Amino acid sequence: MNHRNRLELRKFVAPEFVCGQGALDLAGRYAHNLGMRHLLLVTDPGVRAVGWAEAVGESLTEAGVSFTIYDSVSPNPRAGEVMAGAEVYWSEGCNGIVAVGGGSPMDCAKGIGIVSVSGRDILSFEGVDRVPLPPPPLICVPTTAGTSADISQFAIIGDEEGRRKVAIISKALVPDVSLLDPEPLTTMPRDLTVDSGIDALTHAIEAYVSNASSPITDLHALESIRLTSKAMPAVLENPDDLNLRFSTLLASLHAGLAFSNASVGAVHAMAHALGGVYDLAHGRCNALLLEYVIEANYEAASIRYDRIGAILGQGQDEWMSPAGVVAAFRRSLGISGTLSTLGVTRDMIPALAERAYVDPCLATNPRDLSREEIEEIYERAL
Amino acid sequence: MSEHSDPRLAREALREKIIGLGETSLHKSYYPELQSRLAELERFRALLDQTYDAIFLIQAKGGRVVDFNATAQRYLGYSREELLSRSFEDLVCPEQRSDFLDYARRRHRSPAESGETYRVSLLTRDGRDIPMEVAFRSVTFGDDRYIVAIARDITERIRIERDLRIKESAFESSINGILIADLERAVTYANPSFAEMFGYSGPEALRGMNLESFFVDPSVAEEIVRDLLQNRPVILEVEGLRRDESSFHIEVSGSAVQNETGQPFCIMLIVMDITERIRLDNLKRESYAQLGKNIEQFAVIGDHIRNPLQVIVGCAEMIDDPLAEKILEQAGLIDRFIAELDRGWVESANVRNFLRKHGEDVELPERRPIGLSRLMDEDT
Ligand SMILES: [Fe+2]
Repeated sequence: MNHRNRLELRKFVAPEFVCGQGALDLAGRYAHNLGMRHLLLVTDPGVRAVGWAEAVGESLTEAGVSFTIYDSVSPNPRAGEVMAGAEVYWSEGCNGIVAVGGGSPMDCAKGIGIVSVSGRDILSFEGVDRVPLPPPPLICVPTTAGTSADISQFAIIGDEEGRRKVAIISKALVPDVSLLDPEPLTTMPRDLTVDSGIDALTHAIEAYVSNASSPITDLHALESIRLTSKAMPAVLENPDDLNLRFSTLLASLHAGLAFSNASVGAVHAMAHALGGVYDLAHGRCNALLLEYVIEANYEAASIRYDRIGAILGQGQDEWMSPAGVVAAFRRSLGISGTLSTLGVTRDMIPALAERAYVDPCLATNPRDLSREEIEEIYERAL
Repeated sequence: MSEHSDPRLAREALREKIIGLGETSLHKSYYPELQSRLAELERFRALLDQTYDAIFLIQAKGGRVVDFNATAQRYLGYSREELLSRSFEDLVCPEQRSDFLDYARRRHRSPAESGETYRVSLLTRDGRDIPMEVAFRSVTFGDDRYIVAIARDITERIRIERDLRIKESAFESSINGILIADLERAVTYANPSFAEMFGYSGPEALRGMNLESFFVDPSVAEEIVRDLLQNRPVILEVEGLRRDESSFHIEVSGSAVQNETGQPFCIMLIVMDITERIRLDNLKRESYAQLGKNIEQFAVIGDHIRNPLQVIVGCAEMIDDPLAEKILEQAGLIDRFIAELDRGWVESANVRNFLRKHGEDVELPERRPIGLSRLMDEDT
């Protein structure tokens, strides 16, 4: 599937973004210019506690834009939280949304935007191109470097009843503006830095080997892998170094631009299934699946995987397979263990494989994987 | 077969959309939705412009007109800019302005009941007043409060009301009794003359009474209604029945009132008290009869005089006496007086004929008068 004609059609969509120190102070100006009078500021309790929501709020107030804070968002945002947020959006008479935080508040904000114009249940938008009306303007201020929800056309929402993660994919979900400021990253705890860093790396790798990759997404994917391989280990040593934090932010931005257009693959399909059943950290699931998916996919995109291995494994003495390089890299960041460590049990594998098999992310995986092959990958990652 | 029956094809279709090549895989744009909302608004605007009512949107604070429909412009004749530069108060005719401001202040404190309207004349650009009935409602858009004024031209209604008042006054002041009843013969209206004529305290006392109550012969009421409903005109003289059960002569004329589709929905009776007229008629009849008798007597007396006069003339002609000339001369004078009486009789006969033609029944004896001159000529 990867050997497609290079003249095949490709598209590249990106939001307006501003990156650099002080970017978040532009929130007020953008909100005002996008015609927001009273907006919903979607965040989570953790981000509020370290003051970034308030910092964005100050910028809004300065620009004369009022806001209502909605922070009932859990680490994996749930459909119920989206619907409750939409209620607040209506009752407070909002006409725009600002998301401050990691992937959870940003995905929740996207969901609230969709519901606010349609009034329908968020889960009814599951799938690709199912959002008929453009949601209200959305400004993202990411406080992690990895999910790229501030760049991407994806929103992943948890269906509590079905214990699954629902992917909503639509160009209408690409935010209007992303304000990429390195400063909020300095308050990330180590685990979050690692998990989001690995998420970004997974985005870049999956986009690069995607059967929908393009010369433009390749540029971003490779640059992202390069930045991650250098900045990630260093930022763990110097978490307050703004330059290093900025590198991880750029790595995430590049990965986002790549995967929002080339999409991702089996790692994400399988991580979504895990996240739905076990409510696990998304980045951690990616980290524990990535090397096994690379092994399974390798033949379908060997040249590209070798290139990834070469970038990530720079400076290593002996030759290692790309899967081996990736495994060593995650261990170097302190991610050890297997899926079993996270509590995944063998009896759940068929159900997990069933869910992963129907995940839209599988459509751009370089290899057409069968249900059984997916089960096998889970088995090995266990 | 749908493409989704083959998982491979389904996945391929999904892939097309994920990478942005689907039919609707478009970057967010508000333009199409904006266009359709604008079209919707324009359509609604066109609707508003077609109403009979003039609609104004007024800023609650300051009273400035901020929007209006085309009807408002048509009525008042101002350009858009002129209307937008005015407060609603400027549009009220000067004589009513202070009353209007009092009302506005009152309404500012306690909002109008639904359905409440205020009558005020609005000033057109060329200085005319149009009487309007205006409903004021308070609405809020965002942080701003506005007043929606829906004004209806009531020129025609005022004219109709005036006409109605004139007609009502004609009914009320008519010396004829006027009665309106529904098709079940129940009274819905009676004028004061009718009440007085039939001995009731006032028109209200008659409402709901049956038509039968006003006739000595109750079946008359039914006949009248039947004839009217069959489109036959009704004019008749009958005996009316007063409240105190006494009777009197009345002339009743009636008509059925029809609705827009030509169906009768009520009947109207005009009643005249004709007691006096009948008394006068009787008196007249008696007078004419006496007159006739007298005229006849004159004729008989004339004849009675002529007979002896003829004898006198005959005798005078036979005698040879100078006095005979004198006698004949005097007899001629008497004959002329009788001829004058005859002429009077002929004139009376003409009057009699005239009266007979016009319905007065005066009997006069047939008479062919015989002139004395003719008698005398026959003999000469
Ligand atoms: Fe991800």
